[in-house]
Amino acid sequence: MSMISNQDRFQQLLIRLVLVVVPTIIIAYITLRFVNFSYTALNTAVISQAMVFALGLVLAYSLYYYGARLLITLLVLMFAYWLAERIISRLPGEFDVFYATARFQLYSTLFIFGWVFGFLLERVRWSYILLFSTLSAVTLISISSTIDISLSYILLHLFPMVLYGLYMLFLSPLLTDRIEMNLKKSGKLVVRFGLFVLLILLAFAITERLFKNELKAVEKELAARGTSDNKGGSKEEGSGYDDRYGLMEKDHDGYRLKDTMKVNTKMSQSDKLMFCSKLDNYFPDGSPMPLYFVYHYLTKYDVARESFVRDVNVPSLEEFDVDPAVLPMYYSYTDTSVIRKSMARKLRKVVDAQVYLSSDSWKHAVLGPASVFSIQTIPVEKDFQKTFTSAYKIRSYASELNNAYFVYNVSADPMLAAIQEQRHQELRSVNDYKRLDSTFCAYYTQHPKGGIYDSIVKLSLGLISKDSRPVEKVLAVRDFFLQRNENGKRIFRYTLKPGAVDDPNIPSSKMLYDFLFRTHAGYCTYYAGASLFMLRALGIPTRFTTGFAAVNRSDKNKGWYWFYASQAHAWTQVYFPGYGWLDFDMTIGNEDQQEAPKPDGTPPLPPPDPWLVLNVKSESVTVVTKQFDATFQQLIFFDTPYELSTARTKTIDASLCRVLYDKKDTTFSAILPGDSLIIVSYKDEAKAVPKPIKVMSIEKLVDEFPSPIVADEIHIRPRVKEEKKEDTSRSPVEIAEKKITWQAITWTATKVIAWLLALLLMLPLLYLVYRLMRIALAREPHTRADEVYRAALYRFHMAGIERDNETPLDYAHAKVDPAFGADFEEFMRLYLRLKYAGGSVRPGDTDIIDRFAKVAGPGIHKKNGFVPTLLSYFNVVRAIRYFQHPEKTDYENQSI
Amino acid sequence: MKDTGTKLLTLTNNIETIIRGKPQEIKYVVTALLAKGHILLEDNPGAGKTVLAKTLAQSISEGVADLHTPGGGVAFRRIQFTPDLLPMDLIGSYIFDQDKKDFVFKKGPLFTHVLLADEINRASPKVQSALLECMAENQISAGDTTFPLDQFFFTIATQNPIEMEGTYPLPVAQLDRFFMKITFGYVSEDVEFDIYTNYLDIGNAKNTVKQVLTYHDIIQLQQEAENVYVHPELVKAIVRLVQSTRSHKEIALGSSTRGGIIFIKCLKAWALVNQRDYVIEDDLRALAQPVLHHRLIFRNHEASRTALQHIVDQEVNRLAKMGIQSKP
Repeated sequence: MSMISNQDRFQQLLIRLVLVVVPTIIIAYITLRFVNFSYTALNTAVISQAMVFALGLVLAYSLYYYGARLLITLLVLMFAYWLAERIISRLPGEFDVFYATARFQLYSTLFIFGWVFGFLLERVRWSYILLFSTLSAVTLISISSTIDISLSYILLHLFPMVLYGLYMLFLSPLLTDRIEMNLKKSGKLVVRFGLFVLLILLAFAITERLFKNELKAVEKELAARGTSDNKGGSKEEGSGYDDRYGLMEKDHDGYRLKDTMKVNTKMSQSDKLMFCSKLDNYFPDGSPMPLYFVYHYLTKYDVARESFVRDVNVPSLEEFDVDPAVLPMYYSYTDTSVIRKSMARKLRKVVDAQVYLSSDSWKHAVLGPASVFSIQTIPVEKDFQKTFTSAYKIRSYASELNNAYFVYNVSADPMLAAIQEQRHQELRSVNDYKRLDSTFCAYYTQHPKGGIYDSIVKLSLGLISKDSRPVEKVLAVRDFFLQRNENGKRIFRYTLKPGAVDDPNIPSSKMLYDFLFRTHAGYCTYYAGASLFMLRALGIPTRFTTGFAAVNRSDKNKGWYWFYASQAHAWTQVYFPGYGWLDFDMTIGNEDQQEAPKPDGTPPLPPPDPWLVLNVKSESVTVVTKQFDATFQQLIFFDTPYELSTARTKTIDASLCRVLYDKKDTTFSAILPGDSLIIVSYKDEAKAVPKPIKVMSIEKLVDEFPSPIVADEIHIRPRVKEEKKEDTSRSPVEIAEKKITWQAITWTATKVIAWLLALLLMLPLLYLVYRLMRIALAREPHTRADEVYRAALYRFHMAGIERDNETPLDYAHAKVDPAFGADFEEFMRLYLRLKYAGGSVRPGDTDIIDRFAKVAGPGIHKKNGFVPTLLSYFNVVRAIRYFQHPEKTDYENQSI
Repeated sequence: MKDTGTKLLTLTNNIETIIRGKPQEIKYVVTALLAKGHILLEDNPGAGKTVLAKTLAQSISEGVADLHTPGGGVAFRRIQFTPDLLPMDLIGSYIFDQDKKDFVFKKGPLFTHVLLADEINRASPKVQSALLECMAENQISAGDTTFPLDQFFFTIATQNPIEMEGTYPLPVAQLDRFFMKITFGYVSEDVEFDIYTNYLDIGNAKNTVKQVLTYHDIIQLQQEAENVYVHPELVKAIVRLVQSTRSHKEIALGSSTRGGIIFIKCLKAWALVNQRDYVIEDDLRALAQPVLHHRLIFRNHEASRTALQHIVDQEVNRLAKMGIQSKP
């Protein structure tokens, strides 16, 4: 080969390196960066990783470009690898070896990947598809391991890949040839590529617009599933969090426990922090005494759905019904009827608690130890706002006999065992339920009849006589679950996956039956459900309770408890006259669980104690002095709420104050006249605070307030319109109704894909339209002839007469005219003259062009029929052949 | 142009009356003639090579030739090459003239317009090179004198396939001097039947070939061929084609630049033969094999069948996809 040829080859290599290899390196770098970002473990040096990859790629591409043999290069590569490994293993120092080996393995893997990609890009025509899909898959896997998953996020990260794929798709036909690079050609290429991308994006935009709603819904669903998916803990279970199987469900405001509950084949859990709480409840020795945090009472069993459900007409239900999310800051709400409804007199105590809800938690119901009767919303300290979005203080009546230790897990702790024994002793004073209101008793002892339920009744009646004391009956049921077999092993055990087969169609009652009589394995819902039926069968008022089990972790933050989603729990409460509802948790401790309890976080600082909370409307705001006038009628003065008979106006000094809008920090300038604000002023030595004097009327006290009132916190209440509020309150229902199943997602995906495919199928036809349009637009005879020529070639090709390697003239003469008789040859002769003779147009030429342009289409229609001709344009494979012609060139003829 | 077309048509038709079923080969031969080149026909004995050459010569010769008076007719000579042929048998030799008492040069059969060198590869290389020199230089050197040949000197050489016994294969360097090398191949059944019938009809009567063109016609046609227009894009295509033959993996020796020039010459003549005064992409495809194939050395037998065609197809496809480039 001559020198010039070598130079030319080298030039071609350089052009290819720029056109193909550089974009590939860039896309690989982006992917690597993203992977490193997603898996922090790999996070060493992205640049050097990309360099190693690029080195492999460039080396392989150049080598194979010059016709290196695959086998030999691979052998050399393997030898080099072996040598390098030998050298590394000889390194002094154990740590060095380990470190170097790990590094070497990473780099060599990347290098090999680069090498293989280089080889494929050079030798295999469609290899970029493989490359594109590999990188996309890597990106997708990385995305799936991140927490914040959303369609836009996925699309954003896949966009470079898609762009790369399109670029290569566009470039690949050019690569088969010698590429001549000059300014004009490159400019044309760029413009054409731009148009191509635009076309594709247009198609996607149309798709997006057409299926906007479906896609949005799918995205929402994916996000909901994605967030609960892929968290460290749930990996051992091998399954993602699935609403159907969990105790909780999610809507737009966070996770909440389900209103209905039934047993399932398995339970899925997630490890999200739901809330943390400071509970002022201690044993006499000062160690913290945890309580169950109650969410709902599921008092009724729905036979049709085989689920435990919340009921509306419940006699004496002491559930505290208020939505803390709508309570203004520092406002409290008290319902003293709770104590009456709970029908408990003995061993009552008041327990205070603070609850800090995380952003994942459902905010529209009160969570607290049974029975909450008072609530006050409190702000979250600035530093904790990332973790907790809202907080409230609660006050509840709790029975001395309640605590949140698993009833059957106490044997290890003699103190707890003693406390339990004391409790049972106390309860032995209850003989029966005869003096109890009969409607109440009937309601809480109702249970379904027939079949499986009868066998449960029979089982419980076999345990103990109906005349025994209530507490004995409860203990008998407890002992039933605690019984051991002849080997001393417990018969019942705890498992998250009690179902032998994962079939959601197995009725709940059947699973309950299997649990009691056959498998003896289940999770809390099984134990609670089974014990509810057994206790009710024995005539004991029982209810199904959902909430959270507190796990006492003896650490330095005494009285603080941290609740994760996996602590969602279900248990039974049993009514004892005089004592009220007492927790009886029959769930067997999970002996298999080796997992250490999750560590506690840092408890949020308690908010300062305010002396004054004003619910005001701002009047005039002076930004310079940070003062404004405010009109108010409601106020809380030393924890006592008042309502003034007439509205007052006071000046508020906000110079040193924290301003929040919708629980988020903001600045003073956010306050607008007419805003509804909550103004808080702390008890502070430096401040002149009027003393609360009981005898004075509140109006007089207000008059004596200092002016201006120094504010410490200003909460701007969200400026929401009334309709919207209604909207949010209604939306959970709507969302529940619009719950999307996987079938719907699949259906949407199918529709989108079908639409895209249809667009793809339309492309050949669109190309014809484009060609015909070009003919119509062409005026000058040469241009016109050119357009007619291209259109004709395309039409005849699509009509089934494909040109092989013959020249168009031969094609016209030998193939087209015999088939269609459209005088193509005559036109071709004219065309070739115009093309190559460099001469002018002769009279009569335009006639031939026009005649042929008119005749070509109808000729095909006449021969093939209109419908088959139209249908032939949907033959995408044939269209691809047209654009890929010629199919093979000498650049691909190299042997591997 | 119209005149030229008629003339060429008469010529080819005239030859076709004798050589049946080979219109393409006849055109090739005429093309080589108009391109002022020489042609090599290769095939098994008895395929009609010699007849073709003879017919062509007879179509344009006026029987008696006086080489040194232009327009005095077209001379035709035929030399049967044999292993014992010597160069002097071709170019002639000095013989002693008794009257003048001096050596005078007795011109050999090379001093002619149309030369049929039959079975050229049966002669020794020495003889071959003597012939090829005068083909290339258009002159004959004998001793210290150089005798120019007429501007119209056309050689039709035939050769047997080189695998056959008793042949001296022509080296590529010498093959390069032939503008074209074409193979004849057997005719189809119908044509063969036609040929035999024709033979039987005429019986043993001597075939009479009409003379249709004159010396002047040929010179004029050759000039017209020079004037055929070649589009710059086609020239570019030829450059690419020639370059590709050099860089192709399966081709050991690519085409020389002379090969490219000859290709252009032949293209022009071929266009004329096909009644055109401009070259088109079809011409490229039609002529690449006869003009270029014998200039290349292929690495293997498979490549010799496909590689060149492949390159040509690629270029022709490129041209077919290209739109009209220059618009007046």
